[in-house]
Amino acid sequence: MPKKNDKAGMVLKEASPAYGVSADSDIDLSLLRDNLAKTPWERMQANDDALNFAESLRTAMEKRHAKP
Amino acid sequence: MQNLSELMHRLIASRVEFVLVGGFAAVAHGVTQVTLDVDICCRFNEANLMRIQKAFADLHPVHRSRPDLPLELTPEQCASLKNLYLKTDLGIVDCLGEVLGVGNFEAVLKHSVEVELPYGKCRILDLDALIRAKEAMNRDHDRITVKYLKEIKKQQSQN
Repeated sequence: MPKKNDKAGMVLKEASPAYGVSADSDIDLSLLRDNLAKTPWERMQANDDALNFAESLRTAMEKRHAKP
Repeated sequence: MQNLSELMHRLIASRVEFVLVGGFAAVAHGVTQVTLDVDICCRFNEANLMRIQKAFADLHPVHRSRPDLPLELTPEQCASLKNLYLKTDLGIVDCLGEVLGVGNFEAVLKHSVEVELPYGKCRILDLDALIRAKEAMNRDHDRITVKYLKEIKKQQSQN
């Protein structure tokens, strides 16, 4: 979601330097905080979704490379 | 199709005595890295190992290092096994008798927390013990996981 910026008007959060990144560990804190708001079960299911999405991408790329 | 959550469900439904450790435990604690397998620390006695075998019976479980060998445990094997590395239709499950940096099943159990899942309660290695375990493993991805776990601990202490 766009974030209000006093000088430049509406800007995307990604436009700000080092948005939500922990200074001492390079961790994306906004992503981590979003994840901590979920239950352990929701986090486990998100892991499964990510695994299966990665697998479908891998399969799609293999098919693409297999085409003459 | 990977379904690590369903593997957990089956372990709980089959009343396997286990504690979730490793990457999936880190996921449960809030780490945003994706993990490929389920690591559990469990009691290595015949009754418990047979429960594991029963839990995955219809998922074509095989020994990960010998995929030609289906999981068909005998009492003799149960008495001698220290770890059990399995591959199933729904994903990989590593069953460990002890966890580096923490200790045997009793020590792991002592350093675990109970988590309520939709299909029952499950024990997960607590944050401090998981940090110790990951530090002891000290592989590249473990070091990154430790950074996340320490940040989660920091966030929790602030809330």
